[in-house]
Amino acid sequence: MKNGLNVRCVMSKDALLRTENDQAVYAMVEITSGGRTGFGAAGANFALVLDRSGSMDGEKMDNLKEAVGYVVDHLSDRDVVSVVIFDDQVETLIPSQPAKNRDEIKNSIANVIARGGTQISDGLKAGLEEAKKGFAKDRVNRILLLTDGRTWDDEELCLRLAEEAGKQGIAVTSMGIGEEWNEKLLLQLAEKSGGDSHWIENPISILDVFRSEVEGLQAVSAINLRVTGRMNHGVKPVKVYTTVPMIADASAKWIRGGSLLADLGTLDGKKGQTLLVELHVPKQKAGKFRIGQIEATCDMPSEGITGQSAKSELVVDFTDDIAAATKVNAEVMNLVEKVSAFKLQTRALTEAEAGNIAAATQKLEAAATMLLNLGEQDLAETAEREILSLRKTGTLTALGTKKLEYGTRKLTHALK
Amino acid sequence: MKCTQCQMENIEGALFCEECGAKLESRQEFVEAADAAAPQLVLSTQDGSKLDIPAKDEIVIGREDPISDVFPDLDLTNYGGMEKGVSRKHAVLHRAGPDYTLEDMGSTNGTYVNKKRIQPHVPQAIKAGDEVRLGKLSLSVRAA
Repeated sequence: MKNGLNVRCVMSKDALLRTENDQAVYAMVEITSGGRTGFGAAGANFALVLDRSGSMDGEKMDNLKEAVGYVVDHLSDRDVVSVVIFDDQVETLIPSQPAKNRDEIKNSIANVIARGGTQISDGLKAGLEEAKKGFAKDRVNRILLLTDGRTWDDEELCLRLAEEAGKQGIAVTSMGIGEEWNEKLLLQLAEKSGGDSHWIENPISILDVFRSEVEGLQAVSAINLRVTGRMNHGVKPVKVYTTVPMIADASAKWIRGGSLLADLGTLDGKKGQTLLVELHVPKQKAGKFRIGQIEATCDMPSEGITGQSAKSELVVDFTDDIAAATKVNAEVMNLVEKVSAFKLQTRALTEAEAGNIAAATQKLEAAATMLLNLGEQDLAETAEREILSLRKTGTLTALGTKKLEYGTRKLTHALK
Repeated sequence: MKCTQCQMENIEGALFCEECGAKLESRQEFVEAADAAAPQLVLSTQDGSKLDIPAKDEIVIGREDPISDVFPDLDLTNYGGMEKGVSRKHAVLHRAGPDYTLEDMGSTNGTYVNKKRIQPHVPQAIKAGDEVRLGKLSLSVRAA
């Protein structure tokens, strides 16, 4: 059978100047499945973990009920679904079961009344238990967590649960509605589990986000995707970023000494996956130098394929030709710039949180310039407004922080 | 490889500064550019204080006034800006690679380059060795 998995590696520079010191070079690693989609038919395991605290009352709850109905209607009989609702108490409304009894599930949801506070860890714990019950290696296993509020004193526990879910191959998609929730926590839950995160500004958009999750499920073309990078002696991978579903720094998780070992979970057949790897390369003699090799492996159960594999070499030319060594690949440069804008924004927010206003302002100014260069006018204006807020009040606004956090993480979406 | 904006030392081959995010040129490009181009400029007051110019291509010079929501990039309040007639948004310094121009933003007391008042909203080229005056506040233009 034709290999459906492709790996394409592009270096930031084809030629590096011979120097006495280590130098940095970037590799863009694109993993695609030749446009294959439709894996969703092979099975999904969705655990919906939904906030029913008092603040969800009204428009939010009405839209949420409609969105859950949409999910249930669009899962197949072979898919598995469970529903957990939480406020400061937790209730497993629908234990893990095949998504056949659609009316029963929708009726249970219809009777939910908003009440109480927000204790995310209780909901997440119960959701994870249900997700484990429906877990299968050849399914897409996912927890969809939706909240509109801040959880109290259980952030650490939430993160541990997300990490546990990620290790078991269950990704958490976190969704925050409105402005009064902790974007840092929700983004970390997604990053730790290899999932996605969405900011839902308006309750009317809840359905759109749930629909995109179902469509994303149907677009999955491969599971158990693993990327291994074996580097030549002396070559050090120092940073690795994912870009789908959002930009995330996975260096601490995936770099093991001189190697790269990345468990990416699922591969989206439409978007693929693109990694950015920063490598430090030691001095070399003139001529071709093999930096290393990237190998991707995955399973495609809908086609009965396991252990599908594809490889690509990372090669540069060491030269004394200055003109050749100053040429930078525009595609990689663009990706590095987007990741750099994300990094600057992240550091600016960290500085602002620590009360370092001058440093936060400087980082945000640099981020604004970079975003303008990237043609991201709205995000650049948001950064400018936050700079004014920092100068006036010493703090960032909740709205601006969310716009920057989510906007810069999803900069790479324009690539696809 | 040193960042020309914040002076942070970055590893050779890095494309953007780790500290400030500025685009980095490779050593070779940088050396060639430095040979060909005029040096970077700094502004200093008559008592020799060097002004901290933000790393931007457009730098608004004036006096901070939170009540009017005016926060210039280069605030001259602490250099006698108020007493010497500097407007809140007095002038803007444009930077395009090695070239600098100064533009008066319609200030009350005017902007002068080498004792000659420049027309409002018409950028005027400046270089190292020039004297710039905003109202009665004199600044020297020097090479970095």
